[in-house]
Amino acid sequence: MTSTQSESRRKMSALEKRNTLIAYSFLAPNFIGFVIFTLVPVVFSFVLAFMNWSGGQNITFAGLDNFRLIFKDFSFAKSNLGIALKNTVFYTAMTVPLTLVFALGLALILNKVRGAGFFRAVIFFPYVASLVAICVCWNFLLMKNGPVNQILNAVGFNMKKSWTSSRDLAIWAIIIVSVWRNAGYYMVMYLAGLQGVPAELYEAATMDGANGWQKFTKVTLPMLTPTTFFCSIMMVISCFKIYDVVAIMTQGGPGRSTKMLVTYIFELSFGGENIATSAQYGVASAVSMVLLAIVLIVTFVQFRGEKKWVNYM
Amino acid sequence: MTDAKKTKHSDTRAIALTAAKYGVLIAFTVIALIPFVWMISSSLKTSIDVFSIPMKWIPSEFHWDNYLKIWERVPLLAYFKNTTAVAIIVTFMQILTSSFAAYAFAKMQFRGRDFLFMCYIGTIAVPWQVYMVPQFIMMRSIGLYDTIWALVVLQSFSAFGVFLMRQFYLGIPNDLSEAARIDGLSEYGIWARIILPLAKPAIATLCIFTFVNTWNDYMGPMIYLTTDLNKTIQVGLRRFIQAYSADYNLIMAASLCSLIPVAVVFLFLQRYFIEGIATTGMKG
Amino acid sequence: MKKLFALLLAVLMVACMATAMAETTLKVAGWDITTTPYYEAIKNGFEAANPDIKVEWVDLASQDYNIKASTMLAGGDTTDLYCVKELSDMQNWSKEGLIVPMNDMIAAEGYDLTKYAGMDACYVSTADGQQYALPFRADYWVMFYNKDLFDKAGVAYPTNDWTWDQYAAMATEIAEKTGEYGTHYHTWLSAVANWAVCDGVNTLADGEYSDLKYFYEMYQQLEDEGVCMSYDELKASGLHYSGAFAQGNIAMMPMGYWYVSTLIGYIKDGTASMNWGIAAVPHLDGVAAGSSFGSPTGIAISAASANKDAAWKFASWMCSEEGAKAIAETGTRPAYVSEAVASVMAAAEGFPTDEISAGALLPTAISLEWPIGEGVNEIKTIVNEEHSLIMTREVEIDEGIASMQERAAEYVK
Repeated sequence: MTSTQSESRRKMSALEKRNTLIAYSFLAPNFIGFVIFTLVPVVFSFVLAFMNWSGGQNITFAGLDNFRLIFKDFSFAKSNLGIALKNTVFYTAMTVPLTLVFALGLALILNKVRGAGFFRAVIFFPYVASLVAICVCWNFLLMKNGPVNQILNAVGFNMKKSWTSSRDLAIWAIIIVSVWRNAGYYMVMYLAGLQGVPAELYEAATMDGANGWQKFTKVTLPMLTPTTFFCSIMMVISCFKIYDVVAIMTQGGPGRSTKMLVTYIFELSFGGENIATSAQYGVASAVSMVLLAIVLIVTFVQFRGEKKWVNYM
Repeated sequence: MTDAKKTKHSDTRAIALTAAKYGVLIAFTVIALIPFVWMISSSLKTSIDVFSIPMKWIPSEFHWDNYLKIWERVPLLAYFKNTTAVAIIVTFMQILTSSFAAYAFAKMQFRGRDFLFMCYIGTIAVPWQVYMVPQFIMMRSIGLYDTIWALVVLQSFSAFGVFLMRQFYLGIPNDLSEAARIDGLSEYGIWARIILPLAKPAIATLCIFTFVNTWNDYMGPMIYLTTDLNKTIQVGLRRFIQAYSADYNLIMAASLCSLIPVAVVFLFLQRYFIEGIATTGMKG
Repeated sequence: MKKLFALLLAVLMVACMATAMAETTLKVAGWDITTTPYYEAIKNGFEAANPDIKVEWVDLASQDYNIKASTMLAGGDTTDLYCVKELSDMQNWSKEGLIVPMNDMIAAEGYDLTKYAGMDACYVSTADGQQYALPFRADYWVMFYNKDLFDKAGVAYPTNDWTWDQYAAMATEIAEKTGEYGTHYHTWLSAVANWAVCDGVNTLADGEYSDLKYFYEMYQQLEDEGVCMSYDELKASGLHYSGAFAQGNIAMMPMGYWYVSTLIGYIKDGTASMNWGIAAVPHLDGVAAGSSFGSPTGIAISAASANKDAAWKFASWMCSEEGAKAIAETGTRPAYVSEAVASVMAAAEGFPTDEISAGALLPTAISLEWPIGEGVNEIKTIVNEEHSLIMTREVEIDEGIASMQERAAEYVK
């Protein structure tokens, strides 16, 4: 009895080993490249957060100095890190829900409509267009006397400035461009999700006498949670990494009103517009660790949530 | 009598609803297209007219020669060739390696799976800007500096691709692969015969996004490519903007040209992309 | 056997000599190589003087030059020399040991540093006092003006001894009389408020910014009267000063000397078609006329260079009178200033022929646009951020200046 038990255990572990080997063989092509070109540099940047380095041969251990430096006099109104955090969180908190609402709304309308293919293609198109060209366009559309302000003035607002020149509106310019650019992408995701909702569920709901709104809240939304999960996790992470739109449209200004976490990291490592390289790679890495920590927390929370409320069929 | 009234009433409601739907759709179409319309109109103006106030949507005179000028002033053709090469190779590599690796994450049990997957997720979260300097030093030491191969190896092994494919695979019922396993199919066989065909829409998705991202990427090429003729279209566009920063008409013309390949790929793949997703019952 | 050995030796020696004689190729990093004519002139001049050394320019985009050059240096790229765009970069590079000191070479050759009008001093490392680069170009700011618009307004051309008040009055007058723009300010801090450093006493890193107020007030008044384009629109449209002035509807524009060669090029290829001239930038009462500010551009030798001797030959030639002449011929102002070089500059094809423009070639004093030292980068960021708030009128001038002082205080050494 003991021998058969141990034998079966050995068998199991042999099978397990074989299985693991096969699994690793699946991973290998991607994993080797991933380790060399991504993971190693990422790990190196962790180390860097505790070092003093400006790119040359002199690299010294800094302990927690870099962190002390960025958290010195921390406040959301004054310190660079505080302001960058506040702006990034605000940007994310506005962009993610707005994009999802537009994406879902458009997907619902498009779902069963004639000519959907055309509208879908058009609304998705901003996502694939080159960012440089798009941002130049939007800067002009949001200019002092640009079309957007002309319309707003006509309906009674009093717009005297370009959006990117106002402390309050500059971040909205970034949000608008982001939502405009991404809504189509996530709309496509939602459309895919909607295709997967079985028609029987709606039929059953109709039989039960549910109205349109009830069908939406009781059938559509729950059935779309995997899509919502996927979209929101990707979007929150990419929002926290926002850099390019800011760099092209506002360069973090006016003042520090659109300074984001990555803008700040960039400034520390490479300088900004008309600002020379500071090459404080250590400090920059320390800031990026803060960014990383936030993103990991968000990811973790969403991952825990996935098990609880995501409805995989 | 009452029944007829009711139907008539719901008919008008349905018509009103459809009208409202199209109204919203047309409004959003206009919003989505306005910047591009401006781009087209600007690309046909003289540079001085681009910023004339009030703006003219239709140029008073059409300067089609702007589209000829850009090819003379910048080696756009070389940029296009380089970008096409990078985009195609990267797209192919990513689909191959991601679909392979995602299979292990989604359909197999093995030690260290969750840890490895967290590593992948973690690096999606780490901004590339954080590790690009160590990465650059490494690339240089293996002699990939100033070649498009640097961009190829940089983007071929993306964690995003694996994540995306895994999400799609999770939506494929496990019963399918279990049944195949019982039938004696090897894991490679399951991947090739069962999962991969079902994942066509996912592959299409990854394909279009990888291609588009590679095509539109400019930070990577900016750091890695120095020689003018090795550059890709986005860096080229950037250089062009710097060199001719007052010629907005030409910048817009060049930008539009840079959009065309991506637009074509998109139009070509997007139908298949969406329809395919519906037929395979993807839920994720 | 012996013969064979001798033959072998001979072959070997010939081979060695051939290697020694073979061309060395120097790779030199710069920015905007294809659009800036002097790079080609330097290359041709140097290669003519040193036939055994070939020069190859490595073109890096100007906007990202600092990033790219630093990354290349840090990565041990084989590029032999790097143009120095920012002084603070050079300081960082020297501290990191990425570039080599030139003192030994300078001493060995008895190389003359006195002709740089002091512009060589900023290439001395603050850490070890060694000379890490030489200046080959020293751009200072002058005032460009459109003669056609002055003629249209029926007023006399600017002279080299204008005060800022005279300038503002003239800008307003021309705007009124012609309906065009009297002057133009690019969005940079340097174009609007850097003038406060021309006295050679104030710097932008001294923590005291009340001296900028005069210039901000002048700017806002001109902007309000529509004498110049608004900052807001310039920033949003991204309109570059080079195109703006070339359009011909701007009477005056304070700008760096580098714009001379751009403008000459524009006139040549028909992009612009006006008569233009330069004059010294206006001055404040109590500051000598002809005072300006500027920054030098230097050349440094990479520690990773395999051809340091050849690299020194190139750097020293580029910064010598010969190199200066080659640079001056393209309409760019070299760092090396002598009568001979000045006359070459005035004779450059396309350079305005009037005496005032020629006189503007010899400024009385040039202050550094930004001083060097620790904390300057942080201060620069802060001052630029507050500058954008003042320029967009998000804060009052006093408020912005107070904020500059408060925020910079921490970094002022």
